[in-house]
Amino acid sequence: MNTISIAWIALPFVAGFLIFILPKLDRQIAMLAALGSAGYALQILTSRSSIELLLLDNFGVTLVIDSLSGYFILTNALVTAAVILYCWQTEKVAFFYGQLIILHGSLNAAFACTDFVSLYVALEVSGIAAALLIAYPRTDRSIWVALRYLLVSNVAMLFYLVGAVLVYKAHHSFTFAGLRGAPPEALALIFMGLLTKGGVFVSGLWLPLTHSESETPVSAMLSGIVVKAGVYPLVRCALILDEIDPIIRVFGVGTAILGVSYAIFEKDTKRMLASSTLSQLGFMLAAPEASGFYALTHGLVKSALFMLAGALPSRNFKELQQQPIDRTLWLLFVIAGFSISGFPLLSGFGAKVLTMKNLLPWQEIVMNVVMVGTAIAFAKFIFLPQQPGVNTKPIKQGFWLAIGLLLGTLFVANIVYFEAYDVKNTIKAIAIIATGWLAYLAIFKRTPLKLPRIFEQFDDLIGVMTLVSILLFWATFV
Amino acid sequence: MLLEAFTLATILCGFFAIIFKQNLVMKVFAMDVMSTGVIAYYVLIAARGGLFTPISGNATNNGTYADPVPQSVILTAIVIGFSIQALMLVGAMKLAKDSPTLNTREIEKENSP
Repeated sequence: MNTISIAWIALPFVAGFLIFILPKLDRQIAMLAALGSAGYALQILTSRSSIELLLLDNFGVTLVIDSLSGYFILTNALVTAAVILYCWQTEKVAFFYGQLIILHGSLNAAFACTDFVSLYVALEVSGIAAALLIAYPRTDRSIWVALRYLLVSNVAMLFYLVGAVLVYKAHHSFTFAGLRGAPPEALALIFMGLLTKGGVFVSGLWLPLTHSESETPVSAMLSGIVVKAGVYPLVRCALILDEIDPIIRVFGVGTAILGVSYAIFEKDTKRMLASSTLSQLGFMLAAPEASGFYALTHGLVKSALFMLAGALPSRNFKELQQQPIDRTLWLLFVIAGFSISGFPLLSGFGAKVLTMKNLLPWQEIVMNVVMVGTAIAFAKFIFLPQQPGVNTKPIKQGFWLAIGLLLGTLFVANIVYFEAYDVKNTIKAIAIIATGWLAYLAIFKRTPLKLPRIFEQFDDLIGVMTLVSILLFWATFV
Repeated sequence: MLLEAFTLATILCGFFAIIFKQNLVMKVFAMDVMSTGVIAYYVLIAARGGLFTPISGNATNNGTYADPVPQSVILTAIVIGFSIQALMLVGAMKLAKDSPTLNTREIEKENSP
C-alpha cells in the first residue's frame, strides 16, 4: 500500500507532463489520473485504514492518509472528473487539461501531508495552477483576477513561511503537532496564511470576486475543491491539538454568518454561489470531526450548481425572474438546492445532521440560524419561474454527464451516514427549509438592500491580513 | 538580535509597500522585498549553531555548522517565489497594453463588475 500511495501522489504530475508531450490525448490522460485518485480514495475509505509515511531522518516531514483525507481526495477526484467531462466537447487546448491535472495533483498532496513544508509547496503549486486556469481566457479582467488571487495568496504564504520557521526553531521539526510549544506568533502567522488561502472569515473576502469572474468549469473547480486545501490543514491541526479546536470553531461560526449574510442579499447568481461557499466552509470548520463528509457533499453540489448557473441565460436574478427558464434545468437546480439546504434523501442532509451532532452547545443555535439563511439564499433558485422546452443556451452532452456524475454521487453518498434518517431529524430539516422559504417569500424576495463591496478592494484584502493575525495572536495568548 | 530586527523590518517594509504603492509593478517588486526578508530570516535561523557548511571535511570547527534543513526549505521557497514573480510580471505586461499607467486602482475599477 505504501508504494501505491507514492505512485498515487506522482500519478497526476506524470499525467500533467504527458499531456504536454501528447496533446492529442489530453482529455483521456487527465480522466485516467482523476479516476486513479477516485479509486485510491475509495480503497482508503472502504478499508478504513490509515497510512503513515515518514521521510528517513525526517525533521517532521510526514504524510498521513486516513479516512478524513480520503473524503477530501474523493471530492477532488470527482470534481476534477466532472470538470473534464464538462469541458470534453469544448475547444479547450491541452494546456488547460495539463494545468487542471497538475492542480488536482497538488491538491492531493495537500490532503496527504501533515507537515508545514510539504503543505507550503503543495499550496503554492495549487495557487500557481489555479491562477493560470483563471487567466485562461486571457482577457484583461481574467488576468487581473488571476494576478489579484496570486498576490493575495502569495503574501499570505510568505507570512506562513515565517510561522513555519518559528515552529522549526522551537522543535527542530516541521510537523503539525509542533504547534504545541511553539510561540504564539508562530500559530498566528501560520493560521493567518491558511485562513487567507482557504477563504475563511474576513480574510476570505477575495473569494466572491475570484470565483464569480472565472469561467464556469474553473469556478466549479475553485469552489468545489481548491479552497478546501486551505481548510483541510486547519481541520487537521484542530484534530491533533485540542487547544486549537476552540479557535477553529469560533472562526468557523464567524465565516458561516458572514458568508450567508452576503449570500442572502446577493443579486448575481455566481456571486451568490461563491458567497455560499464562504458560509459552507464555516460549517466545515465549526465541526472539525465531521468536516470530511461535509466537504464531499458540498464539493459535489457546489460544482454542480456553478455548472448549472453557467447554463442560465442571465446572471442577474432580477432578469431571471422575468423570463421562465427550462424545466429540466430548474429540476436540477431544485435537487442541488435541496441538497445544500439539507433536505432528506440527498446526502447534504446526512452531512448537516452529522455536523450538528458534533457542534458544541453554544454553536448550535447560531448554526441553525445559518441553515435557515442557506435555505433563504437557495430559495432564489427554487422559486424561479419555469416552463418546459424553453430554449436557452445550447447545452452539450458533457454537461449532462458531469451533472449526472455529481448529483448521482450525492444520492449514493447517503450510505455513509444513513443513521441520520429518523423522525426527529427529518422533521427538523423540513421545518428549517420551510422557515427559510417563508422568510424568502415574505421578506427577502422584494428587499432592495445590497451589501457594499468596498471591503473587496485589493488594498483592503492585504490590509485585513494584519487584523486577522492580530486577532489570532490575541486568541492564542488568552 | 539586531539582525533579526533588520530582517523583520525588511518583511514589514515589503508588506506595507504592497499596500501603499499604487503601481502594479511596484507591488510585485514589494512582494519580492518581502520574500527577501523571509529568506534572510531562514538563513539567520539556520546560522544559529554556527556558520560553516556541514561537510565532513570541515570537521575541525568543533561542529559549529549551519543547520542545512531551513536552508533547503528556503531554497524551494526561493524557486517558487521567483516563478510566481515571473508569472505576475508577464500578467502585468499583458495588462500594460490597455492600461499603460498600471495604476491598480484604475485597473481594479475597469475590471470589477
